[in-house]
Formats: sequence, C-alpha cells, structure tokens
Amino acid sequence: MTTIISIENLNKAYKKQPVLTDLNWQIEQGDVIGLLGKNGAGKSTLLKSLLNINEIDSGKVTVFSENHNDLSATTKAKIGYVPQENDEISWLSVDDLIKFRKQFYSHWNDEKVTNLISSWDIDTSKKIAELSPGQVQKILIILALAPEPELLIFDEPAAALDPSARREFLKEIVNLTAQENITIVFSTHIVSDLERVANKVAILDQGKICYFDELDNLKENVVQLTLSFDQQAQQELNVPFVLSQKNTPQGLSCVVSQLDTTWLELIKNKGVSVDIIPMGLEDIFLELTS
Amino acid sequence: MQLNIIPSSGIPIYKQVYEQIERMIVNNHLSTGLLLPSVRQVALELEVNPMTISKAYGLLEERGFLMRQRGKGMLIAERDQQVSEQEKLTVLTNKIDKLVIEAQQMGIGVPVLTRLFTQQLQQKKMHQVAIKSSSKSDKE
Repeated sequence: MTTIISIENLNKAYKKQPVLTDLNWQIEQGDVIGLLGKNGAGKSTLLKSLLNINEIDSGKVTVFSENHNDLSATTKAKIGYVPQENDEISWLSVDDLIKFRKQFYSHWNDEKVTNLISSWDIDTSKKIAELSPGQVQKILIILALAPEPELLIFDEPAAALDPSARREFLKEIVNLTAQENITIVFSTHIVSDLERVANKVAILDQGKICYFDELDNLKENVVQLTLSFDQQAQQELNVPFVLSQKNTPQGLSCVVSQLDTTWLELIKNKGVSVDIIPMGLEDIFLELTS
Repeated sequence: MQLNIIPSSGIPIYKQVYEQIERMIVNNHLSTGLLLPSVRQVALELEVNPMTISKAYGLLEERGFLMRQRGKGMLIAERDQQVSEQEKLTVLTNKIDKLVIEAQQMGIGVPVLTRLFTQQLQQKKMHQVAIKSSSKSDKE
C-alpha cells in the first residue's frame, strides 16, 4: 500500500477558535473516502489544509510524499480539486475557461470533456457568471477530471447538483474507480451518495477524525440490538461497547459499536432473546457523533 | 442476472450482492458453467464501487459457488448434489430462526407457533397438489 496523504498532528484555528486539533490521518492509494461531519465540523477546512490552500497553524502534511506547502509542479498536476465555492474567472465563457485551464497541464482528456459537456447539457458559449450554481459545479468537476489526476479531492461535490446530474456524477466516479488506481476524498452530507461509491468512511468530529474504517466494517459492527427478557435477567445485562440504550416494554433496545459474540452467547443461554438489526449509515453517523 | 441493491440499507452492499447471487445459484436460476458479467460491468450497472462487487465475487469463489477461469472471468461452479441440499437447508434454517425470534418478541409461545406452522403447511400442501395436477395436465 502506498500512502498518498499523511497528516500528523494538524492544528488549525479560526479567530482563536480551534477547528482542527491534533488531527492524524493516513490515506492510501485506491481509497475512495467519504468524509462526513456535521455543519461546521471543519470538513472544508481540512480539505483546504491538505492542499495548503489554508495555511495551517502546526503539524505536518505530505501529499505524494512531498510537503504540502512545497509541492512540485508534477505532483500538483496529479491532483484534482473541486472547491465548494467557485473561484473561477467569471467573465470568461465556458469554452475559453476550458482552453485557459488546459494550458497548465501536459495531459488533458478532450474526449472526456466533450462527453461530460454534452451529457450535462452545458452551453459552452455562456459566461461563467451567467450559469446557475449547479452548472458552475458541473464545470468545476469537468475541469478537475480532465487532466485525469491520480488524487481527486471534492468538497461537497453534489451539493448544488439536481438528482439526475448527481447520478451522472456518481457514474463518473464509479467509472474512474473501475479504470484506474485512483484515490478519491469527498466531503458530503448526502449520505446516500457516499454509500454507493465510498469504500471507506471518515467521520470528523470535535476537530479530529474520530472514526475511519471500511464502510462494510462500519455497517457490520455498529448494530442495533433488541433484547427481550423477563425481569430477573435485567440486572445481569451489561451491554459491552454500548453507544446508546433505552428500555422497551419487552426489555432493552441499544446500539453497540461492536458486537461481542461471547457476551451474546452468554445472555442467550440466560434466556434473553436477541434480535440484531442492521443500521443505515445515516443512523450510524448520528449515533457516533451524538 | 438481475440484481437489486439498497445502498441505504444497514446490510453492506457486497453482502446484498453475495446473498442474491447465492440464492440464484442455490435455486438453480443460474446454471453450472454460466459466465457472470465482469466486476466492472456490474459496478457500472448498479452504480457502486467496483471493490464491493469483487468482494462479493471473491466470497462466492471462496465458498465454492463460483470458479475463476483465467482470461474469461467468473463461472458458476459445479457443485456436489449433497452439498447443495445442505445449502438449501442452511438458508431455510436462518429464515426459521428469524421467525422464532419475532414470535418470541410478540410473546407468542412454541405451541401456538407450531400450530400456525402446521396449519399453513397443510393449506399450502393442498394448494400445491392442485397446482401440480393442473400443470401435469398442461404438459400432457
């Protein structure tokens, strides 16, 4: 496994208010990571810090083994970034903007650009300033994909897209992951997008990556348990790895971060009936960040 | 091969794919030697990460349902008749377990559940005899 991004003890504050505190994170080649976090958790700050768009207060960040504040031109060409807000030159037409951006890269897939423009129905003669936020976002995505980068960083890529454009975008991501050994990091609050394309999930909470694992593991580990029993069994129930619990007429309902199978056998032998209910990512996210 | 997945479900996508293909094989809807579509094809069709599909295929191969043929892809493996009978029973046992737990939670005891089960079986049996005899006459 090759490490693509490495972050050690990253600290970043805004107006003396800490946003990221001693954050550590390693991203490996081939990972498709969905970065989740509540509003204001610092997702954009983190993504900008990766690329040194934001200056960090302390810590060490390397991208493709180079220090992030001193990336070589070849490394920069390997990175595609789609920001949340548009900072492109608004008086250029779409056509001119594409031509302008193309000059900076030694490799540019014209066919991909043409295909996406036609499937996303973009009028390339229009000026950037005349486009809707959704259409601007599509252009930003196309500009990031055209040089066929090895690392793609998307900050809320689908936020301004309508459902059909979002589907197209997801398809493009699937296409990319099927073709190459590409690494993708995208922040989102649309959990369902993440569930389709991400193989790993990172949760940013209270300035740190509080959870980072494969999506499948997360879904297999975090489950809801419905325990039914009669009164006398109750005092012996000490649910391991419990995140939250509440009493029900039949017994107890709880969420665990991990299923302890020895414990499970033990309580089953005591006559407690157990139902294991899988949880969707949205519910899991709420459990882990509450 | 028609697969339907629910990404928002708590069941990992690879598991949903695994279970659906397993069921199709156990029920003989996919016959021995059949070539499955490639990982990439399925991933694009379902719009999911290809790793999910290769994980499901890998697990099916590991458990003897699929066979990797070099240069071609994944084929439905030949299976021992006895083993495949056992697989059917495992699938059913898991379903019965779920039913029993649900009944327990509703506070329905063993005698009632047994009665309900036999009752339903008898009804189905009568129904099936009727289907069998009618389909026989269709063939003839």
